[in-house]
Amino acid sequence: MTATPALTFRLVSKVYDSSSRESRFALREVSFDIPPGLKVAIVGRSGSGKSTLLHLAAGIDVPTQGEVSIRGRNLAALSDRARTLVRRQEIGLVFQFFYLLPHLSVRENVCLPGFIAGAGVSEFEERASELLEEVGLLDRAEDNIQELSGGEMQRVAICRSLLRKPRLLLADEPTGNLDDANSGLVMNLMLKLASKEGHTLVYVTHSAELASLADEVWRLQSGVLNPS
Amino acid sequence: MIRYFLAAWIAHLRKAPSLFLLSVLGVALGVASVVAIQIINRNAIGAFSAGIKAVSGEVDLTVLGQTTTFPEELYSQVLATEGVAAAWPLYQIDVALADRDAFFLQVFGVDLLAPVRLPWNSSPADLSQALFEPGWIAVTPSLAQEMGWSIGDPIDVTSGTRRVQLVIGALVDFKKVSPLASRKLAVMDIAQVQGLLGSSGRIHQIDVQIQEGTHTEELILRLQNRLGPSVQIVTPRQREEQAADLMGAFRLNLTALSWISLFVGLFLIYTSTQASLLRRRLEFGLLRSVGATRAQVFGLILGEVSLLGLLGVILGLPMGYWVAQSNVEMVSATLTNLYLLQEIDSLQLSPSLYALAAGIGLGGAMAGAFFPAIDISRKNSKDLLTAFTLHEKANSLALPVFGMGWLVLTLTALWFWFLGYSWKPAGFVLAVAVLVALPLLTPFLIQQICGRIKTRGFGLGYSLKSLAARLQTTSFAVSSLAIAVSMLLGITLMIGSFRKTVEVWVQTTVQADIYLTTPSWRAEPEATLDAELVSALAAHPGVVSVDRLRRLLVSIDNKRISLVGVDMDLSGGQSRFPLLKGDRMEVLGKVQQGGVLISEPLARKSRLDVGDLLQVYAGAGKLEFPIAGIYYDYTSELGSAAMDLAVMGEIFGPGPIHSLSLYLEEGRDPERVVDEIKARFPDTPLQIRSNQRLREEIFEIFDQTFAVVRILQMMSLLIAVCGIMLTLLVLARERISELALYQALGASRLQIFRLFVGKGLGMGLIALGLGSAGGTVLAAILIFVINRTYFGWTIQVYWPGWPVLQQLATILTAALLASLYPALRASKTPAVELSRDDLQ
Ligand SMILES: Nc1ncnc2c1ncn2[C@@H]1O[C@H](COP(=O)(O)OP(=O)(O)OP(=O)(O)O)[C@@H](O)[C@H]1O
Ligand SMILES: [Mg+2]
Repeated sequence: MTATPALTFRLVSKVYDSSSRESRFALREVSFDIPPGLKVAIVGRSGSGKSTLLHLAAGIDVPTQGEVSIRGRNLAALSDRARTLVRRQEIGLVFQFFYLLPHLSVRENVCLPGFIAGAGVSEFEERASELLEEVGLLDRAEDNIQELSGGEMQRVAICRSLLRKPRLLLADEPTGNLDDANSGLVMNLMLKLASKEGHTLVYVTHSAELASLADEVWRLQSGVLNPS
Repeated sequence: MIRYFLAAWIAHLRKAPSLFLLSVLGVALGVASVVAIQIINRNAIGAFSAGIKAVSGEVDLTVLGQTTTFPEELYSQVLATEGVAAAWPLYQIDVALADRDAFFLQVFGVDLLAPVRLPWNSSPADLSQALFEPGWIAVTPSLAQEMGWSIGDPIDVTSGTRRVQLVIGALVDFKKVSPLASRKLAVMDIAQVQGLLGSSGRIHQIDVQIQEGTHTEELILRLQNRLGPSVQIVTPRQREEQAADLMGAFRLNLTALSWISLFVGLFLIYTSTQASLLRRRLEFGLLRSVGATRAQVFGLILGEVSLLGLLGVILGLPMGYWVAQSNVEMVSATLTNLYLLQEIDSLQLSPSLYALAAGIGLGGAMAGAFFPAIDISRKNSKDLLTAFTLHEKANSLALPVFGMGWLVLTLTALWFWFLGYSWKPAGFVLAVAVLVALPLLTPFLIQQICGRIKTRGFGLGYSLKSLAARLQTTSFAVSSLAIAVSMLLGITLMIGSFRKTVEVWVQTTVQADIYLTTPSWRAEPEATLDAELVSALAAHPGVVSVDRLRRLLVSIDNKRISLVGVDMDLSGGQSRFPLLKGDRMEVLGKVQQGGVLISEPLARKSRLDVGDLLQVYAGAGKLEFPIAGIYYDYTSELGSAAMDLAVMGEIFGPGPIHSLSLYLEEGRDPERVVDEIKARFPDTPLQIRSNQRLREEIFEIFDQTFAVVRILQMMSLLIAVCGIMLTLLVLARERISELALYQALGASRLQIFRLFVGKGLGMGLIALGLGSAGGTVLAAILIFVINRTYFGWTIQVYWPGWPVLQQLATILTAALLASLYPALRASKTPAVELSRDDLQ
């Protein structure tokens, strides 16, 4: 494979300073390459370090040791601002608790990354409509966020994460707050959209069924990564 | 519980010191502004009574002239009245120090042989020389030290154009008797005062001690019958009330302003309590679930808030004292200029002031915290433990609250229109209604303005929109700033209009080239010009005409006002009395036949009109003059009246002139003539000012009068700006996950910084809009209602464009500056915080 990996971890460890006790590893010497377009599901017990891994991948947090690279660029070597720009341009995030802003409408929530990037307004508004159309929420575009159900909210959050066509999509338990029916729907939508646009996708899930939809399933155990 | 209370308090203090400090500062500033004004007000009255107490000690009754002085024969009649145990006469006069500019001694002439022991007489000073040594005067040690005088030193003083040398005979510390007594108090033998400085055979007051067992009311009646209508008999309390009445309007206005600052401070406390409670809902939920009662939780919160209030008081008291101290000179000047009252020499904090400060500080803190505390303690522990916000109600309440605001405004307006207009304090009711309505209108307006913004970017529009998301928190900050802005703007519009009105008035009335009076002009009626001097000046080269003014103090409705006599015929002199009512030619004719002109404040306050009879008590008894016209006058709030000089001479007998204005021939330089006159009469104490200088002085006095008001404005603005900062800090803490989300979505720190500055700016802008509306209404109330009923002046409305713009810019800048620190804090929020909390 000659293409630069979408995401690379090299001997990445993360230790949170717990002020009193001896430090505990949330991640221990994790290494992997994810080639562009691959869909990876990460599973593991609660506290095994799944969220930590995603945060490091998104450049939201920095590793204690090791190197995280996005398309060959070492995040640790970048300034805070440059890291922010990489996140802005290359990464889409989906969270367990949706994190939609209650004071914005559905459309505005989807457009938020566009607002922040300051890109051409008409361009991303069109894109937002397309995405909402895809997830079947176009007719709710001007609605208030509070009026949506959980499943609908997560679909909106997925639209938001895809607005700027990120190369790398990271999702932390996107279905963790949804019932089974909605989980399947949301997960399938996400996979469909990611495939259609060729995004690399890394998602965390507790469900074996949903994990099986990915190209590869990796297991985290006490901070140590085992492909399964 | 107490131990838990302290531990929890300290822990939270550590976590959020800036929030805590801002709230304390808010309380402190509110307390300070109320305390400062109270200190000044109380000490102004204190200064008045202290002088009298220091010299006379405790008296039961005082006989005062209806005007100023009365014949000293009345003294023996008082002594001979049944029920009088003792009595002693007083002569009181302000004299100017010859070698100082506008430095007055309050000289009391007392009967040093009086059978009573005067309170200060017990001092070891040797008073035996007082009667025999010409010019013997006792002064206070502090003044002597300040001036470098010692016993035996000669000092030159002036009374009218008289210049007299006195000798320091003794140092007497009146402060020992009456702590508020001025250091400028001085005592002489009464006969010497009459002869050297005042007029022989006349006195200002007689102090009376009542025989035991005598009924006070009966004695007053007996004295009044015996002494006749030229005097009034008052108790010390009544005298104090009269003085308080005199400056009542002035004091009331300052007091009202200072309470507004406190009102603004309340919002701050509300916001901070609300925020701290929101942060700690889990803690309270836990407390409830382990068995703490509602009352205990409520008590815990109020306990913390009182601690905050207490610190505010501890900080606010010295702050208030400092503000009072640094402004007392200007207020004191206003009191002496406008009301001819004693100046305030020293300040004292009475125990009741401490109590007041504690009351408003603690009470204010409690009031601000009451509703949030009730809200929290009402929730059951399950609600507290699940994520929820107190804000959810605000959105649905915005509209009904808005309706309430309108209702308050409409009802008050209707009430005023149909019933209230004739009630004196009605203007304040209107002003309060505006200030209460503003915060009620705010949430809905924010909701409408900010909520409707369609954001298409992450700029100011986005900042504004996000303000609506935390309606309850932002409304409070915006309302408190809006209140401060309306107060600022209302008063600026009022003062600006007033100043412009006075400018126009000065331009028409101050027409002569040179104005001349005596340095001791304050002391009426003794501050007179020597007759020879007057004729010499009239013949001075270059002088074309002379306008002489004679001033008498007369009593109208038991109030002393100036009745001035001028040559009404003077060619070109009509402009001296710009008429509010009356036809110029007609008025002139009536005045020459014994009519009087009255000033606007007198007309308004005594409800007099052209054609009415002005009833005046003068030395001669009761007199009546037909009112020929009403003129604009801004020199005195108490009012004045004017008549023709010749008519005055016929009615009151010939008398000396108090001041002169000179008209020069064309082309003469007034400043040069001023110098010539000074050189020609080097030893005569004169206060000579050119037209230009007098105008300047008028505006110096004007600006001085409103200096305190400006301080109060600044203080409430400061409190409101603290509110903005506090609110943004609250948002920066409370919305950590929102900020983290922005970062996760790729917002840079600079963008988040700008987002917050935008919020500050947005709140500033909305508050400016609301405050401008409120301020305009407030200005109208001040100009047309409050000022008219309390001061009696007509103020023409002018829009002082530049100062208003400057102020608006200042306010926006302040809001912007206040948002910098919170913005910095917000921009430092780590993106990982996202995992902690939810957003809803
Ligand atoms: N900010 C933090 N400070 C200290 N320790 C942390 C922090 N975040 C996570 N940890 C610890 O790191 C370890 C891994 O946490 P992480 O959140 O990555 O687990 P997770 O696999 O996502 O679990 P879950 O399935 O419950 O979400 C845990 O032991 C957790 O306690
Ligand atoms: Mg997790």
